[in-house]
Amino acid sequence: MSIRRYLVLTLVSILTLITFIAAIQGYKASMSRAEKLFEQQLVDFAQIVKGLHHTFDKKKSDLSFDNTEQNTNKKREQGVNTAHNFETSFAFQVWLGHNLVIQSTNSPMNPIMSLKQASTHFSEVNFSGQRWRAIYLVNDKSSVSNSNTSIKFDDEKLIIIVAQPLDKQFLLAQEVILAAVAPMIIAILLLSLLIYGIITHGLKPLHKLTTALSNKQSNDFTPLTLHVDNTELTHVVTTLNQLFERLNLAFERERHFAADAAHELKTPLSVLKINVHNLAQDLNDKGQHNSTKLIKPLSLSVDRMGHVIDQILHLNRTNPEQIYQNQKRVKLKPLLQTVIADLYQSIANKQQTITLNTDDVMLQGDELSLQLMLTNLISNANKYTPGNGEIKVSVKYSSVDEKQPFHNNKTNNKTGRIVIVIEDSGNGIKVEEYNRVFDRFYRVGGDQHDSSVLGCGLGLTIVKHIVDIHRANIVLSQSKSLGGLSVEVLFEQNIERV
Amino acid sequence: MRILLVEDDQGLAEALQQSLEREGFVVDHLSRGKQALTALAVSTHDMVILDLGLPDVDGLDVLKQIRAKKNDLPVIILTARDSIDSKVKGLDYGADDYLAKPFDMQELLARLRVIERRLGTASSSMITIDRVVLDTSSHKVFLMQPLSVKGQKDKQSDQQYKIEVHFSKKEFMVLKALMENAGRIQSREQIESKLYHWGEEVLSNAVEVHIHKLRKNLPDKFIQNVRGVGYIINRPQTNTSN
Repeated sequence: MSIRRYLVLTLVSILTLITFIAAIQGYKASMSRAEKLFEQQLVDFAQIVKGLHHTFDKKKSDLSFDNTEQNTNKKREQGVNTAHNFETSFAFQVWLGHNLVIQSTNSPMNPIMSLKQASTHFSEVNFSGQRWRAIYLVNDKSSVSNSNTSIKFDDEKLIIIVAQPLDKQFLLAQEVILAAVAPMIIAILLLSLLIYGIITHGLKPLHKLTTALSNKQSNDFTPLTLHVDNTELTHVVTTLNQLFERLNLAFERERHFAADAAHELKTPLSVLKINVHNLAQDLNDKGQHNSTKLIKPLSLSVDRMGHVIDQILHLNRTNPEQIYQNQKRVKLKPLLQTVIADLYQSIANKQQTITLNTDDVMLQGDELSLQLMLTNLISNANKYTPGNGEIKVSVKYSSVDEKQPFHNNKTNNKTGRIVIVIEDSGNGIKVEEYNRVFDRFYRVGGDQHDSSVLGCGLGLTIVKHIVDIHRANIVLSQSKSLGGLSVEVLFEQNIERV
Repeated sequence: MRILLVEDDQGLAEALQQSLEREGFVVDHLSRGKQALTALAVSTHDMVILDLGLPDVDGLDVLKQIRAKKNDLPVIILTARDSIDSKVKGLDYGADDYLAKPFDMQELLARLRVIERRLGTASSSMITIDRVVLDTSSHKVFLMQPLSVKGQKDKQSDQQYKIEVHFSKKEFMVLKALMENAGRIQSREQIESKLYHWGEEVLSNAVEVHIHKLRKNLPDKFIQNVRGVGYIINRPQTNTSN
């Protein structure tokens, strides 16, 4: 369902995009916050060191955090791993004038930062093979800082430098931030799944409707029996069912009309026919053979009228807009046998021969209209072929998809082509007439057509309708073997062999 | 044979009645399905000709009810409807035969004769086509030979005599199936179904063999083969056909 796909994809992408932007913003904000925090940390540490210095300053001894091996070993005994000194955060130096008073183990002997600076500030420095963020804290011993006065570069000036490795800072910050951002990523995934689920569920009534509609046959107008909970679709289903109802009624009316018309037309014709028969019998009994001769044209006229009525009713019935047909699998061989059997009397009367050559093939289509189509075609062959002529009916089957040697032969269900060929040894039809013969009420020769042959020009029109209904093709040509007309009807569909 | 004709169209009923009575049948006529069912409950009719387009009730329903009560009463249905559709339905519901309006009277009479013979109410149990005579009661087949009078070659003798032709039981059945349905092609499958019951093994060319044997003793071209479709014996042309 593309609505679902559209909704899910759009929502998930927007969600991801916005969340990512938010995450990045958050990341940046957090980072600068973290920076501030670290700076604060440095300040605090510096203050501690300063305090430390003041405490120990009176002793005037050089206090440094253990650098000697003894002390290192001692520390090791105490469980402090000095090797990690470089990995623990801080390094510091306390300068009094030019003298290094206190320093941390991991700081060099020379000043980390230039001692010429006057004010407290932050900066980034390089020493000991790393990059550090350092605070430079200046404290005048006089404890009264007068920023306007020039820098006094004397032994009195107390400078405290505290530094923290930059990458350490960075790593720490990143850990914290990622811990904050990671849940957002998981949240995105969860939300995506939820969105998908909710949308699918929400669109389920629509999906049900689609399924119900696609399962309906094209000529099935029974109402949909769906229970839809949401208001929009309820309205749609109701409207659809109303439409179906009306269509159903319309087709019912058409069917009844056709049936009534058939009845009303054919019954009086039947009466006429029987009365003519009775008249003929009567005249014959009385030996009035001259009058008997007059009966024949009368009888022929009645037959002709019957034929026209039949064809018109059939034409109405096979109109592609009328959906009378039931699609199902039709066995061609018995169907053709029935058609030929029904027509055989006329064929025998003209001393014609007819042969049927076919495999057991099944066609998907409407049996009644296929029978009608075949009847019209073979009847034409019979009518327009002279006496002692020949009619050949054959069915050829070919598989379109022949590149599947490993195809499962049990199902034998593939796309195939079925060609029904009806050929005769008559006079055929001229090529320029090929298109016109399918016109309603057109018979070859226009107004000068051969009236001795019973027909009203609707046969091929009916055939064309039926061919169209089945989405097949009809091709006229000259028969190579018999010389007369060849009619080929090509069906391409999922063919099943019996 | 006593026939019940159920047809609502007056004109058609009268014409039919006239024609059938001329052929020797006794015909009772009713124009409503319900009346017909009532009549059949106490009737002595041998068969029914039923029009499907009745005004009071659907002809097929009448047929169903007839079948429910009198299962072996022969019924021929007449229909003006879409003939193919009602044909299938009619035969499914149990009709013995059907005719689409407008039909040939000869056609109807032929079907009636078949039913007559089956019921044994026929005045004669013989089917005669050209020179072949089939006796359905004695199961014998005769060939009519003209008796030639010596010395009078150009005078056609009216006298004929019968020569019996001997066929096996199965061959007789094949010939009977073809002659009873003269003018209508019988497919191999149809003939087989008349010869062999379920479970009986049929050789695929059994019918061909029977036909071959029949042809040896019958006139040329009496039995015709329509390749791919079946076999047929043509109906004799009568004097009064239209």
